[in-house]
Amino acid sequence: MELTQTAYKDLILGPEEGMAYGGTFVPEVLLPSLHEITDAFEEIKNDECFVAEFHHALCTFSGRPTAFTPLPRLSAMLGGAQVFLKNEGLNHTGAHKITHCIGQILLAKKLGKRRIIAETGAGQHGYATAAVCARMGLDCTVYMGRKDYERQRPNVYWMELLGAKVAAVDDGDQTLNDAVIAAFKDWVAHPESYYLLGSAVGPRPYPAMNTFFQKVVGEEIRRQCQAATGRLPDYLVACVGGGSNALGMFFDFLDDEGVTLVGVEAGGRGSAPGEHAAKMRQGKLGVFEGYHSYFLQDDDGNIAPTHSVSAGLDYCGISPILAFLADEGRVRFETASDEAALTAVKTLARTEGIIPALESAHAFAHAFELAAQLPKDCIVVVNASGRGEKDLFITMRHFQEESLRDYARHLLAF
Amino acid sequence: MNTLEKTGGFSLMNGRFREGQLPIMAHLVVGYPSLEESLRTAEAYIRAGVQVLELQIPFSHPTADGPIITAACREAVRQGVTVRDCIVAIAALRKRHPSQEIVAMSYLNRIYAFGCQRFMGEMEAFGVQHLLVPDLPVDHIDFPSFQNLRNRRVKLVPVLAANVSDARLEKLLQMGFDFFYLMSDFKITGSAFGLHPRLREVIARVKSHPVAHCQSAYAPFPRVGVGFGISTPEQARLVVEDADLAIVGSALIQAQREGRLDAYLDELKNTFARATECA
Repeated sequence: MELTQTAYKDLILGPEEGMAYGGTFVPEVLLPSLHEITDAFEEIKNDECFVAEFHHALCTFSGRPTAFTPLPRLSAMLGGAQVFLKNEGLNHTGAHKITHCIGQILLAKKLGKRRIIAETGAGQHGYATAAVCARMGLDCTVYMGRKDYERQRPNVYWMELLGAKVAAVDDGDQTLNDAVIAAFKDWVAHPESYYLLGSAVGPRPYPAMNTFFQKVVGEEIRRQCQAATGRLPDYLVACVGGGSNALGMFFDFLDDEGVTLVGVEAGGRGSAPGEHAAKMRQGKLGVFEGYHSYFLQDDDGNIAPTHSVSAGLDYCGISPILAFLADEGRVRFETASDEAALTAVKTLARTEGIIPALESAHAFAHAFELAAQLPKDCIVVVNASGRGEKDLFITMRHFQEESLRDYARHLLAF
Repeated sequence: MNTLEKTGGFSLMNGRFREGQLPIMAHLVVGYPSLEESLRTAEAYIRAGVQVLELQIPFSHPTADGPIITAACREAVRQGVTVRDCIVAIAALRKRHPSQEIVAMSYLNRIYAFGCQRFMGEMEAFGVQHLLVPDLPVDHIDFPSFQNLRNRRVKLVPVLAANVSDARLEKLLQMGFDFFYLMSDFKITGSAFGLHPRLREVIARVKSHPVAHCQSAYAPFPRVGVGFGISTPEQARLVVEDADLAIVGSALIQAQREGRLDAYLDELKNTFARATECA
């Protein structure tokens, strides 16, 4: 059957498993909990009251709609297309993550859940989860790999200040994968809890559910771009770790053939195994953490280590929805290196007064190259999925190492 | 601690246990601490008379296992143990022990990477009649990529817990699964012992239903193993008052690691010998 592009949206959010990827590859013991959430999601999708409550919370708690900002100085510097950014970093807690956290916490509340489990890598999803749990008065446990726990202390502090219990995971590589596995194990032991998964990955219904909540980003871009330029953009560019911010940006445009969708993965330090997180470039089909998609793995099916300067992209798998859209040729994939991302942070800061998160900086790094080669009447929109303040100690080490050492000495003198 | 009520359970003298065999499914990670050592461990299990040998193919990220099995898997993966190595090990055991019942266990990704059809072919060739895939609900093989896991001679083993619904259990029984793995309670492997209050009801339900689609006029009843958190021989004995098999994993690996595997197996034998005499 030839798929019309309109069918993509129905296929992705429809009740049937229409894609070759995704699925529910979890221990049977978790099926009742997943079915409960799937049924609830099917119900709320078309429930105007729920959707209205969700949008009300987005406005009043997170500050939506977020700004759609023209970047004239940057565009002039690049000498090509007009570049705009969607400033998701203006959301409460600093990134797009809060959007699916608000959606899921309303769903958890509807299901009468009292305890929330979540995983976090850099801490952004954990931070957003802790915030919505505090607001709803729900118990919150966030799993975090020991290595991330140590290197992202500020976010650990915020989560604890918000009343969450942050559990450092000592298994394995002590990073995001190990946190996800620890969260799943907690859920096996406490199936009555709600697992608030933080990207468009994992077993059904999380990929579609987080896409459903995040699609507000693309809907706003459509209106804002029309208002600012009188037409739709030519290119949408987003970074891809698991894929939640990219799907949020892309979803509303899947029907619009004229809009080219570009996902940018972490090119890290090179193309050798363990040096990057480019699933669509070097991943192979596999099944892990509940879903069928592309994963970075060795020839014998063991999951490979990953690297990225940005913790949010430092992950072995990719949303089954993005994998499907890539196979279909609807979303194009590129990579940006650690170095290019760091440079992009500085470039955007100096030309437009905006400091993007290192994750989002990957999208900018590619967009700079792309825009430079496009004619002036082209419109490129980049998703600034998060703001850069959280990366203080990482970017400072690159840009002003001595200054950071001074500050560390100053702190130690306390 | 919840334990199964003792009244009305099957007694050890019901003749369910084959002569000289322990109603135990003994687990090991192939390649831990080394390929040779894991084969020696398997031999020790077989000498002790375990009814079923469960051989786990190591995976880098065993999502449903506790710290002991996870560490064993990671060590085996670090040593570069391949799926092919595991199949060679199974073949070697099969050659030496033609009638030993062997259950293979693997996370789905390793089977997928090896090739589902090819993997099932190897299992069939070496007389592995049951395959346990902890991250695959047994009927979720509708994706074209996994349809080859449906095999007449190598059956998947449903891994269920006390939260399985009656309808779901009925469906799995109707589908003809003949070996059920029940989790003792909601936890991961290697946790503290305890049996969920509803477990007994689930066991009874599974065991009251002749295996569907069985060619024989005398269809057998499905077998039930109970695992997760069974660490002492006494706990194993308690479990088989209702179940057919007690599944022991982490405790055996721990014993092996501490150099007291033979002592543990002896204790296991003695416990069941005493129980049989008393019954």
